Amino acid sequence: MEGLEQVFNSIVKQYSERLYWHVRRMVGSHEDADDLLQEIFLKIWTALPTFRGEAQLYTWVWRIATNETLNYLRKEKVRALLHFASPDDVAVQKVQADPFFNGTEAERETAKAIARLPEKQRQVFIMRWWDELSYEEISAITGTSVGALKASYHIAKEKIQLNLSDAEVSK
Amino acid sequence: MTKRNPISVPDGYFQNLEKRLQQIPTQEMQPAAPHGVRRLAPYVAYAASLALLVAVGSLIFRKPAATEEYGWDYVSYLAQSLDPDGLVELKETEELTEDDIRSYLLASNISVEQLNMLSDEEAY
Repeated sequence: MEGLEQVFNSIVKQYSERLYWHVRRMVGSHEDADDLLQEIFLKIWTALPTFRGEAQLYTWVWRIATNETLNYLRKEKVRALLHFASPDDVAVQKVQADPFFNGTEAERETAKAIARLPEKQRQVFIMRWWDELSYEEISAITGTSVGALKASYHIAKEKIQLNLSDAEVSK
Repeated sequence: MTKRNPISVPDGYFQNLEKRLQQIPTQEMQPAAPHGVRRLAPYVAYAASLALLVAVGSLIFRKPAATEEYGWDYVSYLAQSLDPDGLVELKETEELTEDDIRSYLLASNISVEQLNMLSDEEAY
């Protein structure tokens, strides 16, 4: 068990900050990211004895994090719909109300445009653009082919640009 | 699109985060062994439920081989099966009248669906 704890602690040291930024960009608020990160690491700890080494530890950790994040976003979506709110509006509202956002207005608009992307597209975009993972790494984590990921990233980028020009026009 | 990170975290957040996350193993129950009973428990539960369902189903719907030709014997067999306490013991040689069966069925709270099923079986 001590061995497992050591492995777990090294995962925390190595991945917690990087995963925080990924999760934070996916969910849009510091509080939600903090809660979700606890859940992710709890999952990593409980699943650690089942890690067999077929995948790289890096891929395995990221896979848990991305799956948990998508699950969280799906639940958020249901919660929003139950309150008769548009899930997109809720996501954008989080970016708008984020007290730790200290960028320019243009950067806020970009963050909102990213928040409007469908979850999986947002995930691919964030993993490629912000987390700077290669398509091969993203493919190993998500189980999606490199070709599909490239297409998804391209479409996401187009949507963001379109959203930004719409926002510019409406000013 | 620029790549400057426009979001920040509270001061000292990451130092604190690392400490909090490293407390998870001591806060939570120790993880179970991968090949332990806990891992198999849901499958065992499903298998047990299925076995119970098959056993009850075959007990209720099975037609006893020795009495295949006699519809009323089948009814009495079914009546025995439906008796939750197994208190009704009908001997194969015992002569049963329709009244016996009717009164038994009334006392056994048999459902309309089960009665319909019995009437379908009258061809025996």
